[in-house]
Amino acid sequence: MILAAAMNPEALSGAEDAITRLKRGDPDALTAMISRYQHRLYRYLLQLVRQPATAEDLFQQTWLRVMERIGRYDARRDFEAWLFSVAHNLAVDFWRGKRGESLDADGDSSEPSRDRLAAGDPDALEQLLDFERGAILAACVHDLPAIHREVLTLRFEEDMKLEEIAEVAGIPLSTVKSRLRRALEGVRAVMAARFPGRRSV
Amino acid sequence: MNEHESIAEVLALAAAGALDAADQRRVDEHARECPTCRRELEIWSVYSLGLGRLPQPAVPAQLMERTRARVWQERAAVADRRWNELMLTALALFAWTVGLTFWFLFRVLTGGALVIMGANLVRLGTWSAVSTVLVWLTAAVAAIVLGKRRRELRRVS
Repeated sequence: MILAAAMNPEALSGAEDAITRLKRGDPDALTAMISRYQHRLYRYLLQLVRQPATAEDLFQQTWLRVMERIGRYDARRDFEAWLFSVAHNLAVDFWRGKRGESLDADGDSSEPSRDRLAAGDPDALEQLLDFERGAILAACVHDLPAIHREVLTLRFEEDMKLEEIAEVAGIPLSTVKSRLRRALEGVRAVMAARFPGRRSV
Repeated sequence: MNEHESIAEVLALAAAGALDAADQRRVDEHARECPTCRRELEIWSVYSLGLGRLPQPAVPAQLMERTRARVWQERAAVADRRWNELMLTALALFAWTVGLTFWFLFRVLTGGALVIMGANLVRLGTWSAVSTVLVWLTAAVAAIVLGKRRRELRRVS
């Protein structure tokens, strides 16, 4: 998705224009930017914290922080990576505040996510099958620790390059690679444990 | 670790598109010759494909409106605080200027002695103490009153 946006000059110049206007405190620019990123940012935060109310609060805090710091934002940096790193840091603070936990420590599956919608598909039966397969895989991802859920969502849903993930999470590239590998192995292990007999999705 | 084992280690990353071009080529070449790794790569590819197509969460209704309202509310509160601080400082400076001017005038007009309740008010120390109390009280009251007025004006607009 990021790649698609990056390859679209119109979208890119629109974003640059909105960032410039955001620096001037233009309310319409804020509306445009929230509208542009709301699905992806909310999805990322929900994947990290798993509680819709907390994800929404962190979503709002992210934009508050963006408005506070937009003046210091260096336009040469990738805005999306910067935005997601702001959200990442707020999520880290949230976990720290929550009985001193960290993203690494979160591995329970206390609140299964149920507010998910199927992706659009013209064929209803295929859509249903896709949804079933997607729901099974989503349930497996849900059981992983937050640091693994994060790297998976950034790589596969946000389509970020490993370098961008490293920037968002503030970790070295080698750590991103090892984390991604462990996350994938984790999904497969959970899948094997939950659905013995299935070898793939 | 032999070639097969080292390739098997990175198959998940290869399917995730997380290898550089040279490593990806090595994996592809090995997978062409090795049915075990080919099968593993296919499985990891299915996972990667599935992970890119997970059901999407529904964004809460009015999320954008609530976020926008919270951002502007917060910014207005910060602007109010800054404005009040600025106003307080400006009023304090103004009051000090007036106080010192009056001290100078009183000193000239009274010949340096204006005794009330045993204290010479025209002495710089006494004048400063009395002025300080009056200045800060006045500035604080003025800032509060002006701040309230600004908030009311914002509500109306």
